[in-house]
Amino acid sequence: MSANRTAWATDVARFARRSRVDLSTETIDELAGHLEDLYLAGRSRGLDAQAARREAWQALETSGLLPLKQSRSFSMVYALRMALRQFRLHPAFAVVTILVLGLGTGAATVVYTIVDAVVLQPLPYSAPDRLVKFWDTNVEKGLQRDPFSPVTFLDYRLLPVFSGAAAWWRPDVNLVDPGLDPARVRTIETSGNLFAVLGVSPQLGPGFPADGPLFSTDLVVVISDRLWRTRYAGDTSIIGRLLSLNGVSYRVLGVMPPGFRFPDEIDVWQRLNWNLAQHDRQAHFMEGVARMADGISLDQARAAADTLATQLGDRFAVSNKGWAFAVVPLLEDELGYYRPALYVLFGSVGILFLIGCLNVASLLLTRALSREREIAVRTALGATPRQIVSQLFAESLTLSTFGAAAGLAIALVMLPIIVKVTPVEVPRLAEAAISGRVLSLAFGLMIAMTTIFGLVPALLLVRKQVASDLRSGERGSSRSVRRIYQGLVIAEVALACGLLVSSALLVRTVGQMTRVPLGVSSDDVTLANVQLAAVSSSEESWRTVGAHHTAILEHLREQPGVFSAGSANFMPMEHGWRGALLRGDQPTVRQQDAPQAQHHSVSEGYLETMGATLLEGRFFTSHDTTDGESVLILNKTAADRYYPGESAVGKEMRSWMFQVGPLGRNLTWRVLPDRRAVQPRTRVVGVIGDVQNVALGLPAEPAAYYPMRQFPFSAVTIAIAARDSATAIHAVREAVRSESPNTPIGAVNTWRDRFNARTAEPRLLMTMLTVFGAVAAFLAVVGVYGLFSWSVALRKRELAIRLTLGAKPLGVAAQIVRHSVVLVAVGLAAGWALVRAADTALATVLFGVSPDDAISMIVGAALLFVAALVASLPPALRAMRVDPVEGLRAE
Amino acid sequence: MTRPLRPDERPAFEEAKRGSAELFILALVEDTDLHGYEIARQIELRSEGALTFTLAALYATLYRMEARRWISGRWVEKAGQRRRRHYRITDAGRKVLATQREDWARFVTALGRVAGIRYA
Repeated sequence: MSANRTAWATDVARFARRSRVDLSTETIDELAGHLEDLYLAGRSRGLDAQAARREAWQALETSGLLPLKQSRSFSMVYALRMALRQFRLHPAFAVVTILVLGLGTGAATVVYTIVDAVVLQPLPYSAPDRLVKFWDTNVEKGLQRDPFSPVTFLDYRLLPVFSGAAAWWRPDVNLVDPGLDPARVRTIETSGNLFAVLGVSPQLGPGFPADGPLFSTDLVVVISDRLWRTRYAGDTSIIGRLLSLNGVSYRVLGVMPPGFRFPDEIDVWQRLNWNLAQHDRQAHFMEGVARMADGISLDQARAAADTLATQLGDRFAVSNKGWAFAVVPLLEDELGYYRPALYVLFGSVGILFLIGCLNVASLLLTRALSREREIAVRTALGATPRQIVSQLFAESLTLSTFGAAAGLAIALVMLPIIVKVTPVEVPRLAEAAISGRVLSLAFGLMIAMTTIFGLVPALLLVRKQVASDLRSGERGSSRSVRRIYQGLVIAEVALACGLLVSSALLVRTVGQMTRVPLGVSSDDVTLANVQLAAVSSSEESWRTVGAHHTAILEHLREQPGVFSAGSANFMPMEHGWRGALLRGDQPTVRQQDAPQAQHHSVSEGYLETMGATLLEGRFFTSHDTTDGESVLILNKTAADRYYPGESAVGKEMRSWMFQVGPLGRNLTWRVLPDRRAVQPRTRVVGVIGDVQNVALGLPAEPAAYYPMRQFPFSAVTIAIAARDSATAIHAVREAVRSESPNTPIGAVNTWRDRFNARTAEPRLLMTMLTVFGAVAAFLAVVGVYGLFSWSVALRKRELAIRLTLGAKPLGVAAQIVRHSVVLVAVGLAAGWALVRAADTALATVLFGVSPDDAISMIVGAALLFVAALVASLPPALRAMRVDPVEGLRAE
Repeated sequence: MTRPLRPDERPAFEEAKRGSAELFILALVEDTDLHGYEIARQIELRSEGALTFTLAALYATLYRMEARRWISGRWVEKAGQRRRRHYRITDAGRKVLATQREDWARFVTALGRVAGIRYA
């Protein structure tokens, strides 16, 4: 007997396990007793043991145990176990949900990590938020970030709002060490207080002497950690050693710590060896950084700088009128385009994440409603609303935990790949790493997801349950449910629309950029930077540079496969030296009253190689030498300005630029009969179509091109048109090696590469936004499909009644579609409002397109509209096929 | 002969049964302690087989009523026999029972007047 009893209990327990129900021992005992009684009753009716047993057993099997789960032992652990079991039962649902969540969290984590590293982390200087960058601005000339004059810098440096200020310029420097290949190094020549202003000390060596002079003829340098490791193998005896820079020896005083890159990727910091005061207020070639004094705000510093600008303008009208110092926080200055771009990116990934969340929420909501019966039974069995909510909450907690884990895994895999493949040099990107902050973000997201997914459907269901308990329930299609459903559709469509329109705007931006006429057609031209021979200030030295230069170009043109070659000191999209330029027949005016133009130096063959258009006259030839007449070529803007309505060719121009730098070194000044030297006049021999000589988006400035033979530069870019780029690269190496063996060749690439690099930021942003936009649209359409399907399921009864009452199926379907159209249209309108709300942020990353660009709006909206409409068709068809009887029975 | 109607084709009956399960149980344990099997058996017998409950529904109802403190259960052990859980009505249960009896009586009277149903 006793053994029999145990057997019943064991069987019940096993059955409960199989049905995945946790029963207490007491309940098992009670059920076992009941079964035993049934068995005994069967036996007493004359059934044999087996039949009686089967009969008793059937009572258990047919009853279904799920509702029996006792609420007394309810706990969160149990709820979690139930949740895991649910996912085992519906693996597809779980996998899809976790994947959507994982992608969302992963993308958000990666972008946040990047934003964190690039924008949010303080710069690696002492009190970096107190540091500001100096730029010269001139509203009249449309200049926002120009270098400034060393003399003017000294005035600003003395303002009491700054506790210190340093300035530098960027010479082109060749580093030559015995036994090592010569190398071009990125150098700045800086005032000796730079590191003191930044508050950073060298990792090795004393650095520039503290409280030492700003400049000194004592030639010393500090080198970067990178140069120290790669070129000198981290040898600590580097301190005190002599380096040969452009043929002059400098003593190494220090090695900066790894990761120190100021003002950018610099390898050698030379201390200034000339007096800042003994220069020209009109020579704009220096950059600077300053530290605001304690207690001084940015506004106060700016006000002080503006006041000084007015004073200087009055005192030195010739040089300083119209110029002012811009005081820009260092971080803002360093990031440039990336700051708004990253915020836009961050915003869009947030939207993507939100869409993912909405999707999962609607999935869970739909599923929860389809589990209504199960929940109804549980409620009837005495499960409290709290328990039901806990149960659903546990399910979403489990989902979001897995989702967050998947997201983190995606982020860990993707981040190094993104950092590696990013085609643009984003400042500080290499420092991006998953950190505690990022982990806490992922955790925060998980909590947010859980709350959204878990609580909304749960509360909704419980409310519904209470409602139907009170028998007031208009089941399923109760108004609140429908309102939530409509809200979800509108939100998904709106967010996706916002993203799609943004990416369409970026696509148009890149399109506009590549369509801007640059005045050159030279995609396949190979470009090589070279720095010719050591420079001293003697005229003889410049003749040597010029001769070397000519020899290299001539040798290059003789190489097989080379069609043409030439060189220039500035490439398209770079601005040349800006200075006064005057018609030769105009009366002499004060320099500051003369109109400004850019001055470029180009060799013969350069304009032809780059594909510039000759409008009039001729290009330069090898006869335009120092022995010949001084000549120049104007761009169209300059020709139109100086000689409107007449031909500029053959006319004369005058300039003051001959006093600055190497430009004009070779010119013999014309001496008048009264022995007064005057500026030489230069004859215009040609006019070319404008070659873009400022940043994209700005109109070309008037420019004068001088022949390189008359105005040689030591740092030039050689342009080579050849059969293919390999031929070109080989030819230029060969020519430089044979004509000037100590000249290193810098970056070699094609014009297309350089152009792409200059538009790389918006391209990258475009690519990412397009991917986000596509994913968002996909998720939104899937979500909308789900929601429409669900809506039809909810309205099944209503539809069935209408069909019974003689409504035409087609009419029913049409009504569903019409309803969808309205919802989607409202969503699109909301999406449009979203874009409008973000237009200030968007405007900073767009080019040639305004944030309310109609085409982008229409394309984005139309795509989404069609997709959403397609998504509403299958549910509409399903509505047509609703069986009237079944619909009625659903109640 | 027509086939017997399925439960879902007899909504009135099913609804009534669902709503009245607690009334039956309370009435059964009003005067005497019963265990689950006995309760099921009594309902079946007294309704001449018209009313049956699945195992799960019966015990779920019992547990719920216990949770509401309408009935209380206690384990009774006898030598050589399985321990059984006996249910007995509580004071609260009596009140509920009284109310339900009243309600049902009114309802049945109303049914008789409106729908032409008479006591058998």
